[in-house]
Amino acid sequence: MTVAVDRRTTLAWLAAALSALPEAARGTGLEGTQWPTVTLKPVTAPGYGVDPDMSDPKVPWPLTLTAAERKAATALCDMILPADGTAPAASKLGVPAFVDEWVSAPYPNQQRDRKTIVAGLAWLDAESRRRSGKVFAASSMTQRAAICDDIAFKDRIKPGHEKPAAFFTLMRRLTLRAYFSTAEGWEQIGYLGNTPIDGPYPGPTPEALAHLDKIIAGLGLAAA
Amino acid sequence: MAVESYDAVVVGSGAGGAMAAWMLTRAGASVLMLEAGRDYDPAEAPMLNFTRDAPLRGVGTPDKDFGYYDATVDGGWDIPGEPYAMAEGTEFKWWRSRMLGGRTNHWARNSFRMGPYDFKPFTRDGLGVDWPVSYEEMAPWYDKTETIVGVYGNNPNLENHPNSGDGVLHDPPTPRAWELFLKAGAGKLNIPVVPARRAVLTRPVDERSPCYYASECGRGCAIGAAFQTTTSLIPQARATKKLTVRTDAMVHEVILDRAGKAAGVRFIDRKTGAQREARGRVVILAASTGETARILLNTKVAGRSEGLANSSGQLGRNLMDTVGADLSATFPALEGRPRYNEDGAMGLHMYIPFWLYKEQKAGKLNFARGYHFEVGGGFNEPGDLGGLDGYGAGLRARAQRAYGSTIGFTIRGEMIPNAKSYCEIDPVLKDRFGIPALRFHFGWTDQERAMVDHFHKTTQDIVTAMGGKLNKPPETADRALRKGGEIIHEVGTARMGADRRTSVTDPYGRCWDVDNLYIGDGAVFASKAHKNPTLTIMALAMRSADHIATRLRKGEL
Repeated sequence: MTVAVDRRTTLAWLAAALSALPEAARGTGLEGTQWPTVTLKPVTAPGYGVDPDMSDPKVPWPLTLTAAERKAATALCDMILPADGTAPAASKLGVPAFVDEWVSAPYPNQQRDRKTIVAGLAWLDAESRRRSGKVFAASSMTQRAAICDDIAFKDRIKPGHEKPAAFFTLMRRLTLRAYFSTAEGWEQIGYLGNTPIDGPYPGPTPEALAHLDKIIAGLGLAAA
Repeated sequence: MAVESYDAVVVGSGAGGAMAAWMLTRAGASVLMLEAGRDYDPAEAPMLNFTRDAPLRGVGTPDKDFGYYDATVDGGWDIPGEPYAMAEGTEFKWWRSRMLGGRTNHWARNSFRMGPYDFKPFTRDGLGVDWPVSYEEMAPWYDKTETIVGVYGNNPNLENHPNSGDGVLHDPPTPRAWELFLKAGAGKLNIPVVPARRAVLTRPVDERSPCYYASECGRGCAIGAAFQTTTSLIPQARATKKLTVRTDAMVHEVILDRAGKAAGVRFIDRKTGAQREARGRVVILAASTGETARILLNTKVAGRSEGLANSSGQLGRNLMDTVGADLSATFPALEGRPRYNEDGAMGLHMYIPFWLYKEQKAGKLNFARGYHFEVGGGFNEPGDLGGLDGYGAGLRARAQRAYGSTIGFTIRGEMIPNAKSYCEIDPVLKDRFGIPALRFHFGWTDQERAMVDHFHKTTQDIVTAMGGKLNKPPETADRALRKGGEIIHEVGTARMGADRRTSVTDPYGRCWDVDNLYIGDGAVFASKAHKNPTLTIMALAMRSADHIATRLRKGEL
């Protein structure tokens, strides 16, 4: 794996972690880790091109997250969609690898997201260290949840945490996309398509039509 | 290399070019089809391939604007080495396909006939110009086109939405639950929701199979259900042994003989850069609205500076696209509803046709032309589930509950030609072959802005009737309007007319200035009805080719 995050990123992360401590100790009320400044080496790998072999899709660009970032991303993806009953956790369905694939892609949208995600992962570990002395992935589930609770709900973002919240929103969007693209995700959400049908399209099931009748009546509408 | 010579040289392999070639080869003419892009086998279409296997889960990138699996190869909003310019203040997007079959490989297949008002808009409201043909003249050509293409839909007897001939249409697919819900909600406001018309088979036609109700049509349709020229017109024309296809042939100029008639075209082999020529008794340009205008504007005519076939000064003018804007809404009534396979024919089963012709005629609306709604929703393959809050078990439950509860509303409206919107040759910019590039000018007017405001208000009313909530409040019309060209319905740069002083071609697409030079694509549109243009491009090309075949037979060409 190519490590494209350079020394300066690591230093910025350390600085962020260190600067947070005395501030909290001073009890200014503005406790929290500053949003780290990251300087990333631009991704220069080529994309898949305008005429890729669609029957044999390949990701041609090298992955760029560091081992530490990948660990933090994995822990966060599993907070976003943990295992639940028969539903596998995000990391079991390759979601962290997808995040890595995404931030490493040589396209403008993905490169913009990369800045947010690399900085966000650094913030996550620094904030976790500030609170518990451990990086996010090594902290307890309760400690992880406490951080997520500050940044995961749009109506109650902790003051001053707008950037971490935007990072969380992006990670959630990518996690949902990757998770529900899998066979297990289709089963979880109930997507039953991509299945060729012989003969006419059958349309809604009797159960779906009964539900439709009920909602139409409930809104005082005339049946179609 | 010896210069090839044919009865007809057709430039372009999309809707117009392929239809012209199909008609002419059936009439016994020898045809050379020149396509700027690469050869394309519809078997390449990644039907049923999993989004999860594609890079970035298939999302659009600058390499593949409409997603990894979109049928368009070697094309899109930008083609490396083939730039175009925009005048200051203009935002215009120009979608080009560089492949056999052109844009027919990935289009939405929406196929609405233009109606009597649409061919005579000036007569109705005093704006723009009338077409030199009427709906009544076009009706049999629409029937013939729909029969070959295969279009599903029905005949609901709506004003300015003509019925098709008996037995022409294929049965429309059964409506999905969310479409029936929309019909009930819109019905409360007396807004019709009726079966859409799409060029998708629901019964077999020739070797083509009916739809199997899976796989996005935009990926291309290897089974031939969703119409594209690469599974129908082109192989059928080839089967006559009268068609020669040359791909990677970038036409840039019409060759004129001493008498000023078209003798053929010059093109560049995109692979080698070599200059080539092809000769024909008749030349049909169907390279797309932009490229056709570019070829004519780039053709030098002795003693003239305005290009070929431009004595009217209308070449490049009257550039129009469809009015586009989008809203989406979430409906609590649709949350957590029973699951079933809602892929259907992937695109529209139902839509909202324009329903306010009488009010418009009575002066009750502040815009002169029509629009329709295209709608999307249902249990689609999950992609961007954005908008959900929180994390963990609660997030999973919200995702499951919200799935299939959103409907997207899109306006497709008629733009009236205006003096601000045209294309011309850029004075300096050239492509990698040295061919002078186009420069676009584009602007909307109060007509289109008022239409978008009306769409916004109507959508809000429908959503309210259905107990839903817009996901975002509407923006101002100026902000909401999509860019010129973005709907990929650009037409009008070589309009047909009854008067050679104000139009580029006659009612058959024959250039007024050159007797054996025809235009067979969207460039000839005199107006841009809100109805999606591809079906009309094909019907016009068929009629034009019939006219050409008759003239070839009579020895006039």
